[in-house]
Amino acid sequence: MLKRFAAMAMGLALAFTASAAMAADASMYRGKTITYIVATGPGGGYDTYGRLIARFMQKYLPGSRMLVRNVPGAGHIVGANTIYAARADGFTIGMFNTGLIYNQLMNLPGVKFDLAKMSWVGKASNEIRVVIISSKSPYKNVGDMLKSTTPVKFAAAGVGSAAYLDTRILDFVLPIQIQTVTGFDGAEGEMSMIRGEVVAQVGIASSFDQFVKNKNGYYALAMSKLAHDILPGVPQASDYVTDERGKKLLALLEALSDLGRLTVGPPGIPADALAVLREAHLKAVRDPALIAEAKKLNIPIDVGTGEFVQQRIKEALTQTPETVALLKQAASAR
Amino acid sequence: MSLEVALSALGGMLTSPYLMGLMLIGVLVGIFMGIAPGVGGKLGLVLLIPFVYGMDPLAGAVFLLSMHAVVHTAGAVTSILIGVPGEGATAATVLDGFAMTKNGEPGRALGASFGASLAGSIAGAIFLGASLGILEPVILAFSPAEFFLLAILGITFIATLSGKSVIKGMTVGLFGLMISFIGLDPSTGAERYTGGQLFLWDGVDIITAILAMFAIPEMISLGVTRQTYAADVQEPQKIRYDQVGQGLMDVVRHRWLVLRVSLLVAAIGIIPGIGGDAASWLAYGHTVQSSKTPERFGKGAVEGVIGAETGTCAKEGGSLLPTLFFGVPGSSGMAIMLGAFLLLGLQPGPAMLTQHLDVVWSLIWSLVVANIICVAILLASAPWISRLAYIKTSLLVPIVLLFAILGSYLGQNAWENLVLIIFLGGLGYLLKRHDWPRAPFVIGVILGKIAEDSLLKALAIWGYEFFFRPISLVLIAMIFGSIAFYVYRQRNPRVGIAHG
Repeated sequence: MLKRFAAMAMGLALAFTASAAMAADASMYRGKTITYIVATGPGGGYDTYGRLIARFMQKYLPGSRMLVRNVPGAGHIVGANTIYAARADGFTIGMFNTGLIYNQLMNLPGVKFDLAKMSWVGKASNEIRVVIISSKSPYKNVGDMLKSTTPVKFAAAGVGSAAYLDTRILDFVLPIQIQTVTGFDGAEGEMSMIRGEVVAQVGIASSFDQFVKNKNGYYALAMSKLAHDILPGVPQASDYVTDERGKKLLALLEALSDLGRLTVGPPGIPADALAVLREAHLKAVRDPALIAEAKKLNIPIDVGTGEFVQQRIKEALTQTPETVALLKQAASAR
Repeated sequence: MSLEVALSALGGMLTSPYLMGLMLIGVLVGIFMGIAPGVGGKLGLVLLIPFVYGMDPLAGAVFLLSMHAVVHTAGAVTSILIGVPGEGATAATVLDGFAMTKNGEPGRALGASFGASLAGSIAGAIFLGASLGILEPVILAFSPAEFFLLAILGITFIATLSGKSVIKGMTVGLFGLMISFIGLDPSTGAERYTGGQLFLWDGVDIITAILAMFAIPEMISLGVTRQTYAADVQEPQKIRYDQVGQGLMDVVRHRWLVLRVSLLVAAIGIIPGIGGDAASWLAYGHTVQSSKTPERFGKGAVEGVIGAETGTCAKEGGSLLPTLFFGVPGSSGMAIMLGAFLLLGLQPGPAMLTQHLDVVWSLIWSLVVANIICVAILLASAPWISRLAYIKTSLLVPIVLLFAILGSYLGQNAWENLVLIIFLGGLGYLLKRHDWPRAPFVIGVILGKIAEDSLLKALAIWGYEFFFRPISLVLIAMIFGSIAFYVYRQRNPRVGIAHG
């Protein structure tokens, strides 16, 4: 009885906040400038998504002006710190690599943010982690890699980057001996695969679309159940992981595939302003014109609400000390 | 067959008023981006992309490329007249270009620079066009092993660029190398000399380092000596086309130099992984090294301007081609261009070469034609532009400092760079005042990072065997040749390749 009452009260409260959110109107942004911080330099995936979303959010915040500001540095950390430290008035939002969850979990240097406290506005895309094998490589599939007696060379970005940590986790959980060759920024890893120097790379499925279409490589392994639909037939990493510790770590990596290209503001944005921003974001990523443009740019759009993201981020950050220790172990193994 | 396609693509472009009109707008925007501080080609592209939505693919691509192609060409204006390089690639132009301005030859320096840009872009495009068939194996033959050795070859130029004292040059060069090690260790992720500052994690911003070494010291010494910096203090009474013409003739006189540098740089440009900054400094280094009178460089040698500018412009086509053929961008500017191509509906990839050769040629030509338009505009206005060189010191110093500070800040949006520019600028002034060379510093900063990063990759991929790859052996021979040539010339001062 008490439980039911609590549930009813909760439902009422929810309905109330929802209606309050509805009531919050976009007029508070009329004549105002909103700064959208992109945590990379101009060009590249994050800048493309950021500019696209900012432009369409502006459309749904009539009379407002969205100003995109690039704040690159330290592998998205400077940008994330900047957004975190911004005034929580709803006039500063932005985007950075969600892989920073790793940095926060491991308490790495430079982190001056708490992702759980930030005001999440919405999600624009899934980031399904995959392993791409180069067409030039003697390994044709994961089976070949498993059988290899010598280390398999994987290209990765700088030590500490999200892509690097993804690779290290994979090395830790899979019975494949991976040699992580670091320092491949931007498209250098792809070039290295075309030259046949490295065998493979861990990356986001959509960003390798063109690479695979040009027959320079193929998808060999997916680290997300979401891959079933877009990459049918590609084996799942989880099929190759048997021990409990490995499964825990892989689950963390898989959780990140749900959280790509997120728009976020500093902690404590007033509820009405956040509701308006979330609504504008949702309308923007559902706008047929945005979807058409994204299709041309070859970047996927997968919609997620701010509430959904907030919940998922909280879950991803709630890890047992054991898992965090495993993560640290995977990251430091060489 | 290929020639036919090439010519018809050129014909199609020149006879289309729509395309030519778009190019003219692109060029004008590019000139602005090149001259305005801290904007640069990359941001320019990002800002222009929304304007090409809905354009026909070829027209949109030609528009963006023509803007991108002339940024460097126009960037020479501030390098030469006020000693402020817009980006790393144009910094080599400052050395002799600004020195010429101080010698009272701003017009000649501009003429030489524009002429060289034009010649470089044409020669580079023709070279690339001619090698379309063999391009793929050539691009793929270069790997981190070769990047490392090329960087080392560039570092040997430090000796040549040291001027009178090789010890001083090497000291400054090593200091530059040390500065290039600031940041996260690429193999361990450990912080090196960052003092816990996040803005130093990615290393010292190259533009800040260059502005600090060149623009700041000049302004401090002008402020201290209170001179007008163009030597003939007289306001030029008439418009000086003669100086500009003289500069153009210099390019013709040094045609073999232009040709050599164009080929060298276009070849380096097609290798993704070296980058434009390194290419233009390699070009400048080669120019000085092959001169019979290397001691004149840095003091206003017109060949220095020609070598550096040919270098910056010849590489543009170079970075375009890997972007088109592999769908893998050859530079960060091209990464943005790639996004724009996709948006326009051009699908880069191997099929470009087989199915859309006409498009490839149109894009190559647009680099050339845009540079012709740009140079025509700049040449016609050169006498007026060169009046900038006669601005009073009391006005010039604050303007240049503002430019430098904007350029340094806007590059990374980090205010900490302003502290850095003051510190390095003070150091640059001390070097200048005591007559120490400053070019080796830039070589160290730019090439140090490439050398370290590529060495680590090469070792991880091949181990020490990478030294025995065929191209590696050739490059090693070139490195030793470069050193031997320097030593030999120290003993026989009048040896060099004729620059005529």
